[in-house]
Amino acid sequence: MPKLTIDGMEVEVENGTSVLQAAEQLGIEIPRFCYHDKLSVPANCRMCLVEVEGAPKPMASCAMSCAPDMVVHTGSEKVHKARKAVMEFLLINHPLDCPICDQGGECDLQDQSVAYGYDSSRYDEPKRAVKDKDLGPLVKTVMTRCIHCTRCVRFSDEIAGVPVMGLLQRGEDTEISNCLGETVNSEMSGNLVDICPVGALTAKPYEFNARPWELSQTDAIDVMDAVGSNISLCTRSGAIIRIQPRMNEDINEVWIADKTRYIYDGLKKNRLDKSYVRNAKGKLEAVNWEDAFEAISNKFKTSEKIGAIAGDMADVESMFALKGLMNEFESNNLDYRQRGENYDISNPAGYRFNTTIAGLEESDLILLIGTNPRIEAAMVNSRIRKTVFNNGTKVALIGEKADLNYDYDYLGNELSLLEELASGKGSIAKQLKAAEKPVIILGASALNRKDGSAIHNLVYKIAEKFKIVTKDWNGFNMLHQNASTMGALEIGFTPSKKGLDTAGMLKANMDILYLLGADDLDFSKLDKDTFVIYQGSHGGEGAKHADVILPASAYTEKHAIYMNLEARPQTSRQAVFPVGEAKADWKIIRALSEYLDKKLPYDDLLELRDSLRKTSEVFDNIGEVIPVEWSEFGKTGKINKTGLSVDIDNYYQTNIIARSSDTMSECVDAFINKDDKKVA
Amino acid sequence: MIELLTPYAIQVAFIVLKILLIIVPLLIGVAYLTYAERKVMAAMQLRQGPNMVGPFGLLQPFADGLKLFSKETILPDMANKPIFVLAPILTFLLSLMAWAVIPFGELFGKTLLLSNINVGILYLFAVSSLGVYGILMAGWASNSRYAFLGGLRSAAQMVSYEVSIGFVMVTVLLTTGSLNLTEIVMAERPFWVSVMLFPMFIVFIISILAETNRTPFDLPEGESELVGGYNVEYSSMTFALFFLGEYANMILMSAITVILFMGGWLPPFGIESVLIDWVPGIVWFGLKICMILFIFLWSRATLPRYRYDQLMRLGWKVFLPFSLVWVVLVAGVLLATDSLPV
Amino acid sequence: MSIIARTLKGFLLFEIVKGFSLTFKYMFKPKVTINYPFEKGPISPRFRGEHALRRYPNGEERCIACKLCEAVCPALAITIEAEPRDDGSRRTTKYDIDMTKCIYCGLCQEACPVDAIVEGPNFEFATETREELYYDKDKLLENGDRWEAQIAANLKADEKYR
Repeated sequence: MPKLTIDGMEVEVENGTSVLQAAEQLGIEIPRFCYHDKLSVPANCRMCLVEVEGAPKPMASCAMSCAPDMVVHTGSEKVHKARKAVMEFLLINHPLDCPICDQGGECDLQDQSVAYGYDSSRYDEPKRAVKDKDLGPLVKTVMTRCIHCTRCVRFSDEIAGVPVMGLLQRGEDTEISNCLGETVNSEMSGNLVDICPVGALTAKPYEFNARPWELSQTDAIDVMDAVGSNISLCTRSGAIIRIQPRMNEDINEVWIADKTRYIYDGLKKNRLDKSYVRNAKGKLEAVNWEDAFEAISNKFKTSEKIGAIAGDMADVESMFALKGLMNEFESNNLDYRQRGENYDISNPAGYRFNTTIAGLEESDLILLIGTNPRIEAAMVNSRIRKTVFNNGTKVALIGEKADLNYDYDYLGNELSLLEELASGKGSIAKQLKAAEKPVIILGASALNRKDGSAIHNLVYKIAEKFKIVTKDWNGFNMLHQNASTMGALEIGFTPSKKGLDTAGMLKANMDILYLLGADDLDFSKLDKDTFVIYQGSHGGEGAKHADVILPASAYTEKHAIYMNLEARPQTSRQAVFPVGEAKADWKIIRALSEYLDKKLPYDDLLELRDSLRKTSEVFDNIGEVIPVEWSEFGKTGKINKTGLSVDIDNYYQTNIIARSSDTMSECVDAFINKDDKKVA
Repeated sequence: MIELLTPYAIQVAFIVLKILLIIVPLLIGVAYLTYAERKVMAAMQLRQGPNMVGPFGLLQPFADGLKLFSKETILPDMANKPIFVLAPILTFLLSLMAWAVIPFGELFGKTLLLSNINVGILYLFAVSSLGVYGILMAGWASNSRYAFLGGLRSAAQMVSYEVSIGFVMVTVLLTTGSLNLTEIVMAERPFWVSVMLFPMFIVFIISILAETNRTPFDLPEGESELVGGYNVEYSSMTFALFFLGEYANMILMSAITVILFMGGWLPPFGIESVLIDWVPGIVWFGLKICMILFIFLWSRATLPRYRYDQLMRLGWKVFLPFSLVWVVLVAGVLLATDSLPV
Repeated sequence: MSIIARTLKGFLLFEIVKGFSLTFKYMFKPKVTINYPFEKGPISPRFRGEHALRRYPNGEERCIACKLCEAVCPALAITIEAEPRDDGSRRTTKYDIDMTKCIYCGLCQEACPVDAIVEGPNFEFATETREELYYDKDKLLENGDRWEAQIAANLKADEKYR
């Protein structure tokens, strides 16, 4: 624990802390370009120079560890002069195109040149120009602006795990290049834009659209997958202009996945902005809210078999309200599993991501079963990669072969492997036994089969066998795909008391089927006489088969609670107003309940959340995970020979919003159809 | 019956014709007084003044008139409507009525005037005093604070200065010995008497400025504090009538000044020369009126507005004692030198 | 000043006469105003009149949609929307100035890095309706084309003081 003095203030820091970090603890900001909290330290920009007493020259504070009794000056004349000199060199070849640069207004170089720049240039020679690189449809490059901080190189090597960026040549010819002109085939490539301190890497979909000072930010939660990444919605005049990550060390650190970041143009297309009712001719006809409710209430009067299915992006409140409404009609036909994943929904220990995402970093062995975290939950995958990269954690996979961005032992896709493991045999058994903090990640979508529950139970047995769960370590995890899943499980939006599940509802020819944004059902099995109510934001399969369409808001247009796969409830705020006549989901259900003479007992969102808290105390602790007791789950049964498969064919098109987005289509063209690979 | 009425009808027609002969030039005069006011003030303020409508902007007054007449007459909701409408009519009528006794000149030995009455000066005094009613009525009927205050100020001001105007007239009457305006004009006055009347002339000029609510005594209109005074609620025709009445009053007051002090239609300074003998008296009368009117405009371009207490102090504490003393002085001197007119 | 002189001055209205003579004298001085629509006064090269968007001599519009004018505008009169043009360059798709909001402070032309938005020498752009004062990009570019010669001359004249 060295104790040192920075600018006359004493501070005691951990061993290995750099001077820059120590200064930050004291609230002293040291300018930097190449240093990034989450990346390794190359110390090549020299902007963070500080004066250390006793040292002959200014030292790069980012790379210098604190030593006892060090005396550091961060604002002395010498430091200032050194930084000015560094800045002058950086600006020699930097073009004066700030007015047309998308980074303008949030550019580190711009900000710091105000403090350390000269007002005129002494450089008369021609400036160099560098050819722009093609990094795909998401990242635009203007390489002339590059100051060679190598943050992008380190990011693609260390975080994204696609080492295609590199620094070529030397001296004046130095340039950042993508290896052999390859695009950055990573679901994390959007983060390159965030880390670039200048305007060399900017976002293509956001190109020239706005200035940072015009945008207002709203804290929201991503619903593209079950991770619940914290995002910040940047809006201007009622439209989402871009989406940026919001730091949350427990979930997404400072990154977000590309689908999360570039989905927003899908929010403007294909929207349901009016109510529709199917008329006598079988055509959907635009009507007002009253007429739509009228049609529904007429049908309700004569119906007995009523069921509801929640979609992949439903928020907790709307499912809670819908469950309330269904219960009023004494229907327990509720389900959130559109594809019919078959696992034990009665025991939280069996369906949660118990280790937590941040907890993965402590593990020393990770066994993936029937999952491809890279496309199912990119941020979980990035955490696994971080663990592998930092701690050398071993990863093994049973299931479909996946293109993961770290090395793993592929064990095969035979279910006999699981049975072997359960009996303590198999190639990985030894390592599992030796591991102090082993982790099993079971893909929920792989259990989309008749013997799913049996597999679930089998994995429980493996966990028991290898002491995956101990007193202070719970290494069993289930990886879900949908943002609505954990919320639905928590509030019990599940078939209970002999209620029917999705498959049962489709088979049973329901009189009324209420779809809360459910688009991924097997509509071919739907009975023609079933009266389908579709409440959602986008027109897709669900709306196509609907008899009544109720326009609802997308996730950016409502205040809502989402629960991520760790069972961590998080609140998302409304950034823009719903389009057209659309309303927040819970409001629609509440209004409909009044129309059906089964008024739900809450008038505003706060009252709804109060009743929600009465049902489950989890919602008292927004942003926190409450661990659950470990106990047996699943049912023993016969297991088929068929291998496990991950239920995603296309990372960029997993939900209705993504399917409406042009940017996502471009990504499909650029990354997937290009060489017929799955992601990356 | 018709035969019986015919002589009267002719007489009435003749009178109407005479009235028209007075009123039409008067109203044209009023119109050009506004034009002259703008031009003179512009000149003194180094501006151009109206110059767009007609040559040198000579048609400006008609354009203004047209504009005023084509506007909407607004009757305020809370106003006392009959009185509100009556007030400008009264003001306008009174300012015209006074002209009945003003002699304009002499033609072939006959005085040009509508009615030659012996108490002409008293008639004038009476009619001009009634003018305050129009303003009070306007201020009251508008039902607006600004108009009300303006009306009050105006009434107080006119009453105050009429007192000194009265004494000034008495001084003049002492030297003429008649209330008939024609005789006042024709009265012979020794030169030293005229000199003694000069201070009274100044007092009279200043008083008529106050009487007609002109700068520097235009407090009833006081834009800065009363937004326009008693006529703040008036628009279009009703406003035009006030406007015409006020300017006609200015001309009337100038005419009275000319008659009392400047020898009416006679050539100036009693000059008798072949060179100017051919000039008709009415021209001299007009020129003299123009001179006094010029003083009206000149003072507007020169002097700032008085404070209300200063105005009252000037009227009651300066002019009243001064004119009183002067009446006694003139009377005494006339008596002592036995120069009283017969 | 003795009391007699003061009283005398007061009674003889000395100061009023002095004032009157002054105004009378001024009546005959040359007028300082001009006969406006027919004569016009000189205008400074820095005159801030009606806005115009300029073009380069080759016809390319100067504005690069940097939005600095929008940011600096104290009256929030400028609204800009931008998009990449087909050739990839940064251009506005919408450049509106609400001339009824504008206070003619000239900060937009100070902020402009490419001299695209300028306040030209024209001040005679009164209209009969408010709508006509909501200028769009076409109107501004048309202004630029019409006044270019004068604007360029003005900018050149003012160049050395910048």
